[in-house]
Amino acid sequence: MKLLKIFVVEDDKLYAKGVEHHLQLNSDNDVSVYPTGRACLGELYKEPDLIFLDYSLPDLSGIEVLRAIQNSKLSPPVVIVSGQEDVSTAVKLLKEGAYDYIVKDENARERMWNAANNVRENAKLRTELEQLRQELNYKYDFSNIKGRSEVLQKVFKLVEKAARTNITVSITGETGTGKELVAKAIHYNSGKSARPMVTVNMTAIPAELMESELFGHEKGAFTGAQARRVGKFEEAHESTLFLDEIADLDLSLQAKLLRVLQEKEVTRLGSNRPVPAAPRIIVATHKNLAEEVKQGRFREDLYYRLLGLPIELPPLRERGDDILLLAQYFLDAFAEENQLQGLKLSQEAREKLRHYRWPGNVRELRAVIELSAVLCSGEQIEASDISFPASGDDWGDLWAQNLTLRDYTRKIIQHYLDRYNQNVVRVAEKLDVGKSTIYRMIKNKELTLK
Amino acid sequence: MADTIYDLSQLEELAGGDEDFINSMVSTFLEHTPNQLEELKKARQDGDLPTMGKIAHKIKPNIDMFGLTDITDTIRELEQMGKNEEDKPEIKDKIQQVDKVLQEAFDQLKAR
Repeated sequence: MKLLKIFVVEDDKLYAKGVEHHLQLNSDNDVSVYPTGRACLGELYKEPDLIFLDYSLPDLSGIEVLRAIQNSKLSPPVVIVSGQEDVSTAVKLLKEGAYDYIVKDENARERMWNAANNVRENAKLRTELEQLRQELNYKYDFSNIKGRSEVLQKVFKLVEKAARTNITVSITGETGTGKELVAKAIHYNSGKSARPMVTVNMTAIPAELMESELFGHEKGAFTGAQARRVGKFEEAHESTLFLDEIADLDLSLQAKLLRVLQEKEVTRLGSNRPVPAAPRIIVATHKNLAEEVKQGRFREDLYYRLLGLPIELPPLRERGDDILLLAQYFLDAFAEENQLQGLKLSQEAREKLRHYRWPGNVRELRAVIELSAVLCSGEQIEASDISFPASGDDWGDLWAQNLTLRDYTRKIIQHYLDRYNQNVVRVAEKLDVGKSTIYRMIKNKELTLK
Repeated sequence: MADTIYDLSQLEELAGGDEDFINSMVSTFLEHTPNQLEELKKARQDGDLPTMGKIAHKIKPNIDMFGLTDITDTIRELEQMGKNEEDKPEIKDKIQQVDKVLQEAFDQLKAR
């Protein structure tokens, strides 16, 4: 829920004060007063949502200001406020495109209040309509999560159960496994689907702004807080709040998050007045939250509060032939989008896809398939058309994993085994290690042959 | 409060118990309305009826807000006469009436 930015253009200071006070009784209104038409026009870059315009201003006539506003980039609705009970003027202004015409009588402020509510409601409906249109382009029924593997069928069952209740859901899985897709499938099949799901990615917003992002702030709450802002918790009230990459939430904010979850209300920064905020919560992370708790990076009490129904998404490499099913799905979608003839994968191309480790999971598969569709000549994609990203494995972040020497050794040998089609002799030569070492590690199940 | 020429009930309703807001509105009224009243009288003296009508139009909602019921009709009549440029002899009396009521309101509001 966004604040409604209202301009009041009124040269009578007393009347303007009364209107400003009245409209600000609704804390979702952000009201600015301008004493002249020119002052208002000079501030249109602030993108007001609604303008109350006094018809008799000292510098410009009401009609001149109205036309200038209508010629501006956003052309917000303009409500003319006038002391004249003159029907012909009102009709003329409405024909010019004024949103409404309000006479300054004892009901004026009430009518201005209602006009603001109508504009807010319309804006909200427009936003929701736009979001729903976007959602319709990509239906979030369960069939949208492609895959027939047994591991994924287990996930489907949990997703169905999650959608039936309002239980908190914690989704884990490597990057690119479709955590947000699962969150949306739960939300849009739940009782809260009438409203759009609100998403916050903990890694996308700087830590110093996250508190305000989640819980909102009042005007002047801190340097730079020029207007009141509604937080995501409030916005998602009676809907679903999806907190992505929850493990990256700053420790200091974890305590506040826990309090909000328990009390089901939130207090904006700089305010003393709590407001209801009880969204259904879905969290996701690619990290092991229990391990984060052990390491002291995540609060244990919050961990248990958020655990709810845990859903672990399997990495693509463990989903067997889902790789090929998804590959063909992405290929068909790409062909349709680009008016290409039905593209197929050759047997060698299928084998190449099946044996890759997919550190970037489904997201990476999609990118690889789309690139191969562009590179191929003809209707069949060959193995040579498929190229994996330079960092197309977990090599890049290997050093950040703090493994033991033995684990590093295991990872390196496994990487070469995968690259050289499980050819132990060749890998032994490449790495200058004994074949017997590799065979022993395979026997001990430290390495896997595919 | 008994015997006041003004009635702040509309303002109090708007304030919703915010006494600071009421005080601020009273201060603004006392600061601006005397000038508007002088401009109204001057426009009449100058025979500038359209300006007189415009000033009456501006003062009107504030007279309503402060519950100055003795002149709510009078200020509207002045507005209309100005707009229609009707130079009637009763304009002088009506302005005197507005002046008298407003001066009394200023005194009472300063003393409240």
